[in-house]
Amino acid sequence: MGDLLIRTEHITKDYPGTRALDDISLSFDSGRVHALVGKNGSGKSTLVKIFAGAIQPTLGEFYLNDEKLHFESTSDAYNKGIVTVYQEMSLVPGLSVAENIFLGRLPKKNNAIDWRKTYQMAGKLLEKMKVDINPHEKMYRLSMWQWQVVEITKALSFNPKVILLDEPSSALAQHEVQSLFEAVRALRDQGVIVIYITHKLQELPQIADTVTVLRDGKWVGTVRMDEAEHKDIISMMFGSVKAKDRPKDIQVRDDVIMEVKELSRAGWYEDVSFELHRGEVLGIAGMLGSGRTELLRGIFGADPVDRGVVTVEGKPYRKADPIKMKKAGVGLTPENRQKEGLILIHSIRDNLCYASMNLTSDLWVENKRKRIAFANKQVEELEIKIPKIAAPCSSLSGGNQQKVVVGNWLNTSPKIMLYDEPSRGIDVNAKQQIFEIMWAQARKGVSTIFVSTELEELLEVCHRILIMRHGRIVGEVNPDDININELYEICMRGDEAE
Amino acid sequence: MTSITANPLLVNRRKVVLFVLDHIIEVFLIVLILGLAIGVEGFSTWGNWMNILRSNSLKGVIALGMTMVIIGGMIDLSIGSTVALAGVIVARSCRDLTALGMDINLACVIGITLAFLAAIVIGWVHGVSHHKMGMPAFIVTLVTLNALYGLAGIICEGYPIANQFPTWFNQLGMGRVGGQNGIPIPAIVLAVSFLVVLFIMGYTTTGRSIYAVGGNPESARLSGINVGKTKIICFIAVQIFAVISGFMNSGQVMAGSFSFGRGWEVDVISAVVIGGTSMSGGIGTVWGTLIGILFMGVITNGMTLLDFNLYIQYVVRGIIMFSAVLISSYRAKVKA
Repeated sequence: MGDLLIRTEHITKDYPGTRALDDISLSFDSGRVHALVGKNGSGKSTLVKIFAGAIQPTLGEFYLNDEKLHFESTSDAYNKGIVTVYQEMSLVPGLSVAENIFLGRLPKKNNAIDWRKTYQMAGKLLEKMKVDINPHEKMYRLSMWQWQVVEITKALSFNPKVILLDEPSSALAQHEVQSLFEAVRALRDQGVIVIYITHKLQELPQIADTVTVLRDGKWVGTVRMDEAEHKDIISMMFGSVKAKDRPKDIQVRDDVIMEVKELSRAGWYEDVSFELHRGEVLGIAGMLGSGRTELLRGIFGADPVDRGVVTVEGKPYRKADPIKMKKAGVGLTPENRQKEGLILIHSIRDNLCYASMNLTSDLWVENKRKRIAFANKQVEELEIKIPKIAAPCSSLSGGNQQKVVVGNWLNTSPKIMLYDEPSRGIDVNAKQQIFEIMWAQARKGVSTIFVSTELEELLEVCHRILIMRHGRIVGEVNPDDININELYEICMRGDEAE
Repeated sequence: MTSITANPLLVNRRKVVLFVLDHIIEVFLIVLILGLAIGVEGFSTWGNWMNILRSNSLKGVIALGMTMVIIGGMIDLSIGSTVALAGVIVARSCRDLTALGMDINLACVIGITLAFLAAIVIGWVHGVSHHKMGMPAFIVTLVTLNALYGLAGIICEGYPIANQFPTWFNQLGMGRVGGQNGIPIPAIVLAVSFLVVLFIMGYTTTGRSIYAVGGNPESARLSGINVGKTKIICFIAVQIFAVISGFMNSGQVMAGSFSFGRGWEVDVISAVVIGGTSMSGGIGTVWGTLIGILFMGVITNGMTLLDFNLYIQYVVRGIIMFSAVLISSYRAKVKA
């Protein structure tokens, strides 16, 4: 269609133990937005990294208009006109929009910065993007979608041939996404090859011209968006769903251990009410930005709530905080384990015993022997692989770090455990072990709330799943009566209408 | 082949480098003491050692409290003014209350109580404005450094208040246990303070909370640790040590004045950092601070014995502080 074409031939990327990409041959032309979709671990980010020059393929080649590309570094990719816009923003809040766009290469006149030209050039680029952003404005005054657009504009200022957008809408609110899309369409009309990486299928009909699906490192197919149906893409993404292997012996007791009533936090979640039974594993499903994480933090008292009450074993908590909730027998493994769950510079032993500090001490005085016993117990029971227990937590792999966070809470003998994305960024084995831990705890009568982006995980692990959309609980499903495609449909239904 | 045989060597070398970096200050201290003992007459005498202890214990006591604050991820710059404040509060109490006919001992005890109350209030204000209102500890305590200096000036009306204390109060600073050449009381106070802080930091939940809060306040909070309380405890602790130090300082010169304690924060923080405590919080030992205090004391004493003039001493101490921070940054890099 367009006059530019980037294509790959038999690209394969091996990592020790896994094949991240397997014989991928595909092509993207200019003048269209090409969506690249797949669930986590499908290999889409590996492919992006290869295009960006961050890694090299093990086998295979890729070409831009018949010119064979070989990148030693990301700057090689830049020089060939391939620019990647990542989720993490690279902009400086205190500087103006124009300065951010030309950061490090501001136009100069007589060795002084030529401000007039800077703002003029920035203004022209923003005009091309068809957005109304003042180049003089300071970044911190802008909203999230405007940040994303400035990021894209900055990419455009390099006169690229290919722009890769890595989940650009993930941090945006619903109404902001439309503004982003307009900018992406403007970008497409500049004659640039736009590759749009996303896992939000509901966006595809609006923004994508073609959809390419990867699964488990393999190319599943490429379809034209106007010819594809929603459920086709979903089944391409998930394939045939493997059998669930949740142990059947876990008994959910009848008594309610926790009741959440009309919990609200303006802008995040509204009137959330549900009950949690003893020994139950309750999942909360929802797309990114549905308010799942915020809800979990609200229940735990990590963030303030506006309204509502959480009742644990008959005792109501209105203005909860982590100290009170810990006393009530509630534990939380936060979404970002490195920044919120661990003290990376401290030892594995210490990290396993911070939450249970009052239990490893006699009154005010620490009982070192008890602490060592507590730490060793979790290392053994959770099978945490450690060099030695006095080593800093930063030396552990993601999966083992996650186990330390879990162990820290299990040492408090909790009655309720809240898990926020416990499987993010950890390998399949560790993931399975985390689920085993949840089940083992459930057998002991510990109740669990489990939040995850990976819907198939919820189906595998939970007794019951609540569906959350735009900050509200909109439904409840039994994982035995539903398959992944249906669950996915429910989670994103209504997004397009709003 | 070569890589296989080289690996254990590399690991060992790294271990050795880490060990030396971790204990570099002890090594320096021993070398320094040996050098001075051999090269300088009058250094390695009992009298000189007691002298070193007497003149460094005052700042040393505060440095122990400062260790708690810095490990907790904060800083307190105001301690010098607290030293002055403690002195003038007691001096003013002694002078004015005895003028009203009160017993001098009772007047002094009232003064001491007031000073401790002041320490608690100052520490609490620091803690609350830092934690609850989100002000940087650096700024809060920089402000109180000047405000408390002024307050001390107001209390003593701009002049030193001399010769008002009962004898036992003066003995806090001047006294020695075991006769003329005995162990100075400030050194004993330092030893006791050392044991107290060592116990708190190593053997109590408070101490472990301080390490946790300094290491990562958000993780500590989400582990159900009371971050605000922990921070306030640190700020109050260092102020209490500053007040105790202020008593000893005023006792030593038999007066209270707003000008005491000026600039002490630099030496105090130096001792803590030289002792290996990380300015970014979460890492540090009480033992290290004790070594840091001794190190600073021995260097200053050696330079005085060698007749270095005051200005050169300042430069040398600056260079030492610089090197200590350099080593600590390098260590963090090697470990990472």
